[in-house]
Amino acid sequence: MNLVLPSHAMRTLPIQQVATHSAELKSFLFEQTFEAEPGQFVMLWIPGLDEKPFSVSDVRDGRIEITAKAVGPFSRALMECRPGERLGVRGPFGRGFRPRGRGLVVGGGMGIAPLRYLVHRLERDRASFRVALGAHTAPELMYAVDFARVGAHFATDDGSVGEKGVVLNLAERLCADQPVDVIYGCGPEPMLVALQQLADRLRIDCQLSLERYMKCGIGVCGSCCVDGSGICICREGPVLDKAELDRVPDFGRPHRDATGQRRS
Amino acid sequence: MNPLAVQIAGLALESPLVLASGVLGTTASSLRRVAQAGAGAVTTKSCSLAARPGHPAPCVLPWPGGLINAVGLSNPGVEAELEELAEYRRTCATPLFVSIFAGSADEFGRLARRVAAAKPDLIEVNVSCPNVESEFGAPFAADPEACGRVTHAVKENAGAVPVSIKLSAQCASLARMAVVCRQNGADALTAINTVGPGMWIDVGTGRPALSNRVGGVSGPAILPIAVRAVYEIRKAVDLPIIGTGGVSCAEDALQLIMAGADAVGVGSGVYAGGVELFGEINRGLAAFLKERGFASLAQVKGLAHREGRP
Repeated sequence: MNLVLPSHAMRTLPIQQVATHSAELKSFLFEQTFEAEPGQFVMLWIPGLDEKPFSVSDVRDGRIEITAKAVGPFSRALMECRPGERLGVRGPFGRGFRPRGRGLVVGGGMGIAPLRYLVHRLERDRASFRVALGAHTAPELMYAVDFARVGAHFATDDGSVGEKGVVLNLAERLCADQPVDVIYGCGPEPMLVALQQLADRLRIDCQLSLERYMKCGIGVCGSCCVDGSGICICREGPVLDKAELDRVPDFGRPHRDATGQRRS
Repeated sequence: MNPLAVQIAGLALESPLVLASGVLGTTASSLRRVAQAGAGAVTTKSCSLAARPGHPAPCVLPWPGGLINAVGLSNPGVEAELEELAEYRRTCATPLFVSIFAGSADEFGRLARRVAAAKPDLIEVNVSCPNVESEFGAPFAADPEACGRVTHAVKENAGAVPVSIKLSAQCASLARMAVVCRQNGADALTAINTVGPGMWIDVGTGRPALSNRVGGVSGPAILPIAVRAVYEIRKAVDLPIIGTGGVSCAEDALQLIMAGADAVGVGSGVYAGGVELFGEINRGLAAFLKERGFASLAQVKGLAHREGRP
């Protein structure tokens, strides 16, 4: 019988450093007290407020990095957190990317965050990969310089960085240029659905990171179970491969809120 | 013949293992998955008349003895719940228990009527949740009179659907509580709910780690309390008992059965064991029966009540 994983119990760590990309987009660095794989996530707790899942955006030099954008009450409060402040950092949770073969890394908006760590891992392992990233405007393309270093291609709605348009067109062209074995994706769900369809057309695999309302993070409460197969996103996800995605009938469709009700 | 088959309140279960309320019980898909993993019946997360978002996170935390939780009875409300139940029914034949929760006996009655119309195999009455006390006051399961009123109200409205009252280990006399439930028409008893409430303090910040500050304690730490509770109830009444609390292996389940349980709830064990735990415990129970020469679980039930030398 396996016992409680110590990393799942509450632990708080002081913020070591805050990297400000913009007033609404910041990275928070903590001492690395645990191992995490690209695509895995942590539960970040602001004492007295709430606890939310965030993917790990990098692990290096003994530090673990979380990147967040101000979208709701929690992430807005997070933007006010300063170095020295203690936050709960439980994890890692879930199952991340399983790199193999020639990869195409595709990210949209905040989905870029976990792909930063994935790209560093692929680089370390001398894997063959290309990168396509998209965002509405230049300021949302965090770590663009770092990504450009590995030859990433960019697309923005206004053409302020890279080509004007959506990242999907970029991804399709890159797939046409050179063979790809697997598409790694993270971003808005409609983009992920399009990536799955692209992978289907090319008869290649994909590994896509899904978001669902999470509460416990440990596969107990059932909040993040998808329809159909009942796959538990916090424990068996968040990264699912094509065969698993085929068993998620609510992929790209309305899913559930904190009460368990389906939202349109 | 299936040696693991059991009967409770007129229901035939293929396995004594029942998914306990509160774990993987929000959607038809997760309930079905647990059924396919080997549960003899599955219990929904408690539903109430209106939707509830529950407490903010952290709401479930593991600790070395198990879990501590204050999810706060989040649920989509009974109407959305009934759609999930219908979806489950369309796709899975494993018996379905529906847990209900309300703030008064009258409300319990109305909720039971609505749920009974969907014809679940059993209605489980959650009168013992320890983590909504700030909202609802002390659980009904702490007071025999209140518990009796709720039981009566649910039975009045549940029609032919059998009713199990989910008790707390924390009351002056479980024997008295069990008798009162039976007198008011309960068809079965579920024992026990989580224990507590307890508190877990994060020493880094010096603050309670659960957003609700306190929460129900479950997992291996409470198994001996559950076993004692089932033993006391079995001494007092002959109602079927769904023994629940801290089960994470076949031996744990056997303890509850030997204390007098007819079926065994499994909840927090899913944290360490995953849904595969149901299959593992089934295999362990079957192996025990075979090895010890018992033809069925009925022969094991209540063994702990024998007097004298073995």
